[in-house]
Formats: sequence, structure tokens, C-alpha cells
Amino acid sequence: MFPAVLRPIVEFKGVTRAYGSRLALDDISLSLEPGDLTFLVGPSGAGKTTFLKLINRELRPTKGEVWVDGVAAHSLKASRVADLRRRVGVVFQDYKLLPRLTAKENVAFGLQVGDLRISDAEAMDRALDALEAVGLGDRGSSFPNQLSGGQQQRVAVARAMITQPRVLIADEPTGNLDMETAWQIMALLENVATFGTTVLVATHNVEIVRRLQRRILTLVEGRLVRDQPAGGIGRMEWLASASS
Amino acid sequence: MARLGIVVKDALPRAAMARTVVGNTFRYLFFGAARNWFRNIGSIAPALGSMTLLLLMAGVAGLTGFAINNLEQVESAQASLLHVYIRDGAPSADISSLWDRLAADPRVANVVLVTKAEALQRAQSIPGLPQIASASDSNPFPASLDVQVKSIDDMASIAALVRTDTAVDPVNPSSYDKGAYQRIQTVIFGIAVAGLAFLAVLAFVAVTVTINSVRAAIHSRRDEVTIMQLVGAPRWMVRGPFVVEGAITGALAGAAAGLATFGLTMAGISAGTDTFARFAPGITFSVAAIAGVIVLATGVGLGSGSSLVSVRRHLES
Repeated sequence: MFPAVLRPIVEFKGVTRAYGSRLALDDISLSLEPGDLTFLVGPSGAGKTTFLKLINRELRPTKGEVWVDGVAAHSLKASRVADLRRRVGVVFQDYKLLPRLTAKENVAFGLQVGDLRISDAEAMDRALDALEAVGLGDRGSSFPNQLSGGQQQRVAVARAMITQPRVLIADEPTGNLDMETAWQIMALLENVATFGTTVLVATHNVEIVRRLQRRILTLVEGRLVRDQPAGGIGRMEWLASASS
Repeated sequence: MARLGIVVKDALPRAAMARTVVGNTFRYLFFGAARNWFRNIGSIAPALGSMTLLLLMAGVAGLTGFAINNLEQVESAQASLLHVYIRDGAPSADISSLWDRLAADPRVANVVLVTKAEALQRAQSIPGLPQIASASDSNPFPASLDVQVKSIDDMASIAALVRTDTAVDPVNPSSYDKGAYQRIQTVIFGIAVAGLAFLAVLAFVAVTVTINSVRAAIHSRRDEVTIMQLVGAPRWMVRGPFVVEGAITGALAGAAAGLATFGLTMAGISAGTDTFARFAPGITFSVAAIAGVIVLATGVGLGSGSSLVSVRRHLES
């Protein structure tokens, strides 16, 4: 089954976000298409996290419009935010797993909070499937503190993906990981994008951005200074300075 | 590496779906809350302890207030009873005439004749008076017309009305004591005001301490609230378990305080039935049981309400 109209999954229209008098984002307009894997780069304080939080409606824009899968996130009431969140998977640098739940329960939790029609047994089955998909099928009964950072991040990816969201946003998903594990996580995220989920990754990891050659959005002091399309990037000396 | 894919399954039948939804809701709200409650007993313990103590104090204060209210009614009833002392040797006709006048007075509820013998018998049940009776060869206690006055404010005029009657003892015409009633009223009013003020302060402290304790417990789990919201949990799903946990805390604190209130009251009743009844009239087994139940219900309300208020602070707006 194909969508009747191919529309952007995420669309920013003249978005400005200010914290007091400081502009975190300044007049950003762009769109992300289904199945895109896009990197969001820029130095600390450039507005990357603010950008992601606007998609997830953790923040509202001061000005402009944010559309996510046809939902007006900029004007969404608090009581409707949960509906939006179920269309947006989120992966954090610090994983944000519930410490008192096992890996399987953490993943199932992501599924069941959105849909009470799913039985416990089915949720656990699907959570196990998702854990197997991220290579952790044998660690379902482990608690987060019994898992390495890379394993916890995989659980977080499985939790984010189990609801089959239209968008997955990842805020420094490899920030706490060694390079080898970081590549494993990125491979997972690439895999997610091939199934049609739009993936947006905020990162400082120049090596990953350079080698994957995907679309790159560069923020500096809240402004979108570069929108580099995927492939054929060539030399990217600018990237190192933009990400430092 | 395995690939993430879409899982397609047949929809459940409607009845099975309803069962699943109800089961999940119940499991999530109640079983989940109970499990979290036990897991977080360390952070909940201060709230549980302070709630128990405050609820116990509130229960005892409430029962004390109830007893004072009853005591006031008893005292008021006694204060509005006027003993009109009959002159020794007064003719029956005069006594009857006085009785008729008083009974016909619209300010009077009823009139009862107490003979000298009955007065003596009554005096013997009052501490100190039997010695006076035994010190005399004759019965020193006069006969009286006990006049129940409808309004305490009419006591003075009724006393003035009978003072000059020929059937009445001219030396000690009645039990009317102008200052006594005012003193009683002043004392009872003072106790009532102090009691209400104490209850108000206690209620304020109970609510403040409980909310702060519960807030601290929830604050220590703010990451959990944040994560739940970030993965798309609806607001009721975030709030619900915390409210149920609060209700569990409140119920346990209320049960402990209610049982202690009931136990203390019953201990007081059984330790000195007569004394207890005189100083705390109306406090019975039933009243103590009801007080215990009210304390329990207050605990549940206080716990769940505090949780509701506290968790709201961590919800996104």
C-alpha cells in the first residue's frame, strides 16, 4: 500500500525559537522526506537539541510552524502531545531507559503506552523480536545497569522503533560510545531508514557524517548555514570546524 | 545483523480486545502502581511516616472536638435547668399554683417536682454531698420545682419571676447564678475556638507536609515521568499510577492512624468508663470506629490528592 500523496514527514516553516532574548533557532525552513537519513551538525549551542525538541513537541516554536507527519506540532495541545510522540521515535545520548524494567520490558513499555489493545504476551513477543533485530535477543531479561552503553543504546533504538514511527530523532546517539559500537548503532539507524522511517541524527561525530555521505544540515548560532544533499559531497573541510 | 520489520497480526475479536484493554488498564494502573510502591518504599517512607503521625493527631483532635461539642450541649442543658427551691412547710396549693404558672409560661419547656426525699437521694450520688447529708439529723436538702427553660437567655427573668412567690424559699429562692452560665459559655467558646484553630493548623501542616513528602518522592522519579512522556504515554497513564501509589500510601497511613485512633479511644473507654463518659460524653465504640474509618478515608484522599498535585508539576504543558 502506497501513500496517496508523498508529503514531507517533517516540515519547518520559518521557525524561530528564543529562550528569553537569546535566539536558539532563527528562521529555519526545511523539510525531511520519508526514508531520509539526515545528519544535523553544528557546534555546541548551535540549536541542534532545540531543533529535535521542536519535532517531538518538547518545545513550541516562538514563531513559525512545525509539521510532523501532517500534525501541526507548533499548535498542538498538551493533551494531544502523546499522539504525536507515538509517531516520533526518540533515541537519546543517555539512553533514558527505565532502570527498574528489564530490556524487554523497556521495549514493550514503548509499545503498550501507546496502545492498550496490545496484550502483555503480544507486547513481550514483539519486544523480543525488536531486541533480536538489534542483536540483543539473548539480553531481554537484563536490567539496564547490566548492559554496556552500546547495548543500552540498542535497547533504546528497539524501543523507539517498536511502534514503527514515521520519524526517528536521535540526539547524539553515539556520544557515549566507542567508535566500533557507534558504527553498529549507525548501521541500525541506516537500516531503520531503509524501511521508510525518516531518521534525523544530531551528532558531533565528523567521521560518521563524512563516511555515510547522507544529507547534512549545519546549524551555527541557531541559523541553518548549510543544507548539503546526500552523496557526492566531496571534500568537507567545513564539517570539522562546524562540528567542533 | 537482523533487520527491523513490520509485524502484521490479525486483529483480536472485539470481546477479547475489550478484555485486553481492561486488563492492561487495571494491570498498568493498579498492579504497576503496587509494584512501584514496593520498589520505591525507601523514598515513600518519610511521606508514610509523617502522614500516619498527622492523621493520628487529626483523628484524636477530631474526637476531642466531638467530645467538647457534646460536653457543651450537656453543660448547656444543665445550665438551662433552674431549681426553684420550695420553702419548708409551703402549702400544696401554693406549690401547685406556682407549678401551673411556670408550666403555662411559653418560655418553659417542662416542670418537674422534686421532693425532699428525692433531693436527698440525688445528693447522695454527687461527690461530697453525702457527708453533708449525714452530718445532719434531718434532711437538709429542700424540695424543688426543676424548671427546664427553653432558652438560656430567659433564665434570669424566670428566676426573678419566682423569687417573691410565697411557695419559694425566700433565703435561697433558686439555683440561678448569673455569672455561672457566662463562665461556662466563655470557657466552652474558648475551647471551641482553640480547638478549631488547632484543627486548622493541623490540617494545614498535614496537607503541606504530605504534599512536600509526596512531591519529594515523585521528584526523585522525575526521569521516569519524563521518559514516560517522551515515549508517548498519555497524561492519564503518567498520572494514574502515581495517584494510585499515593492512594496506597494514604490508605496505609490512614489505616495505621485509624487503628491507633480507635485503639486509643477504646483503651480510654475501658480504662475508666464513668470518668471517660463524664469528660468525653458521646464517645462510644461506634463513634471510635467511625472516626477510624474517617481517618482512613482522609488518608486515601490526602495521599492520592497530594500525588495528583505533585505529579502535575512534572507534566509538560
